[in-house]
Amino acid sequence: MKRSGKLILVLLVVMLSSSCAGLKSVEETPPELTHIRLPMGYIPNVQYAPFYAGVEEGFFAEEGLEIEFDYSYETDGVALVGANELQFSLVSGEQVPIARAEGVPIVYVLAWYGQYPIAVIAKSEQNLKVPQDMAGKRIGLPGLFGANYVGLRALMGYAGLEEKDLILESVGFNQVEVLAADTSEVIVGYIANEPVQLAAQGYDLDVLLVSDYLDLVSNGLITNEITIAENPDLIRRMVSATLKSIQFAVENPDAAFQHCFKYIEGLEDADQEVQRQVLESSLALYQIDPYGYSSPQAWENMQKVLLDMGLMKEEINLTEAYTNEFSQ
Amino acid sequence: MKSWVESVRRIGFLLLSVVVGLILWQLFTTFSEIPSFIFPKPIEVWTKLITVIENGSLFYHTLVTLQEVIVGLALGLTAAIITGFLLAKSRLVERVLSPYIVASQSIPIVAIAPLLVIWLGPGILSKILTSALIVFFPVLVNTIVGLRSVPCELYDLMRSLQASTWQRIIKLEIPAAMPVFLGGLRIGATLAVIGAVVGEFVGADKGLGFLVNVGRGLYDTALVFVAVFTLVLLALGLYGSVVYLEKHLLSWQKRNGD
Repeated sequence: MKRSGKLILVLLVVMLSSSCAGLKSVEETPPELTHIRLPMGYIPNVQYAPFYAGVEEGFFAEEGLEIEFDYSYETDGVALVGANELQFSLVSGEQVPIARAEGVPIVYVLAWYGQYPIAVIAKSEQNLKVPQDMAGKRIGLPGLFGANYVGLRALMGYAGLEEKDLILESVGFNQVEVLAADTSEVIVGYIANEPVQLAAQGYDLDVLLVSDYLDLVSNGLITNEITIAENPDLIRRMVSATLKSIQFAVENPDAAFQHCFKYIEGLEDADQEVQRQVLESSLALYQIDPYGYSSPQAWENMQKVLLDMGLMKEEINLTEAYTNEFSQ
Repeated sequence: MKSWVESVRRIGFLLLSVVVGLILWQLFTTFSEIPSFIFPKPIEVWTKLITVIENGSLFYHTLVTLQEVIVGLALGLTAAIITGFLLAKSRLVERVLSPYIVASQSIPIVAIAPLLVIWLGPGILSKILTSALIVFFPVLVNTIVGLRSVPCELYDLMRSLQASTWQRIIKLEIPAAMPVFLGGLRIGATLAVIGAVVGEFVGADKGLGFLVNVGRGLYDTALVFVAVFTLVLLALGLYGSVVYLEKHLLSWQKRNGD
């Protein structure tokens, strides 16, 4: 073949390859999505079914969001959002006033849970019928911090009990084990988790839910003051997608449960009945009318509990700590 | 006179290095936009330090951790020395026990700590045992190596002098193994602090590890720094104690060298 012929052939091959690559790249190019790393505050769990369903059903993508689930500690999520390293995090309600009191500029923009999920749990032989029955008992909780401790102290305050009236034991996240082994007479845990696991093992339980006695601000979505000022549209999209996801999970629990399998390693080997019960218990916590609404009274109650506990030294301006602007 | 001047010079350089570090830290936190709850200024950490000293909480929590460390170190050392002696003296015992000992050390201490809380309860015992477990292996290995490094000629000498077993242990094996053993003790002393803190992280209501958790939970990063620096000082103090012990127990090495 003459030299010029070879050159033309090479050029043709190059042109053909480029046009094929161009076609391929057009097909593969995703629509422009804003990447959101979302700290969840706990390990992959069925209680996050609305978020898993939201991603799989496309609610977040519809709003131009690509969610990356991050299972680091709740306090790390708060600090990163406060430092504007991240835009959003899922947190328990008490984290917001505590953090804002220390100058962390986070703002609660959507209530995910309508009820504070902490419960005090005992085997039925302990006869734990009212909060006052906690007096004199050995109470196991993860530690003297976090939602479990705040919930317990809220219940103690309601019952007129002080720490000297009972024996607090920091047992780490081993509440199920210590109650089963009778190392602790009473434990503090999440209503959607520990009681479900213990009931599945055949224990008869008495359960006192904090929210039956006191309305406290619960788990929700936070952002920071910088994002509110500079990118409120991002918050509106994130809140909108989250609300759709929560509503979907409530109305389609079977589908929401199925979506969990992709995100929770080992779920297929776990007791499906127990896991389904965790989801049902979680769904019951989402019931707020309307979805996402934050109650001012719940915030006042939470601040009072935290001040009484000494976790806050003085009141903060609660109207700066939360807003219903994006969820309603 | 010369050694005194040398000591003063060493301390002077150390202090200068610390002061320069503090100045750089203060400048960085002052001019960067990193918020205090992420990286506090030295003055904030100092203020927090004064607060927790004045209210007694630093002393209380330090004492708790120190208690766990010392008892854990003693327990780990004792178990390691006895086991090490058995393994050093009997190849059969070594072959039988080694797989279990090595396998146990492959399990991360952060995975064992919650199990200890379940089995032993949330009290101080689980923290002591966490500390002892983390100390055990390095001291065990150094005990075995130390005992096996005794030259054969010295055993021959002891036999020729008709030394009893007890005399052989006291006058030959222990002194000969001491340098290597104390090397293991240096490592063990600092590891004991880590073990106690890991135990406190998992489940405790007192101790410096608990104080770190409190600081994190309240976004009081200055408190976290105070607790961490105190842990560092604790570890340095223990390490320094072992070095001091070494100087006295191994002074015969220097004399023989002279």
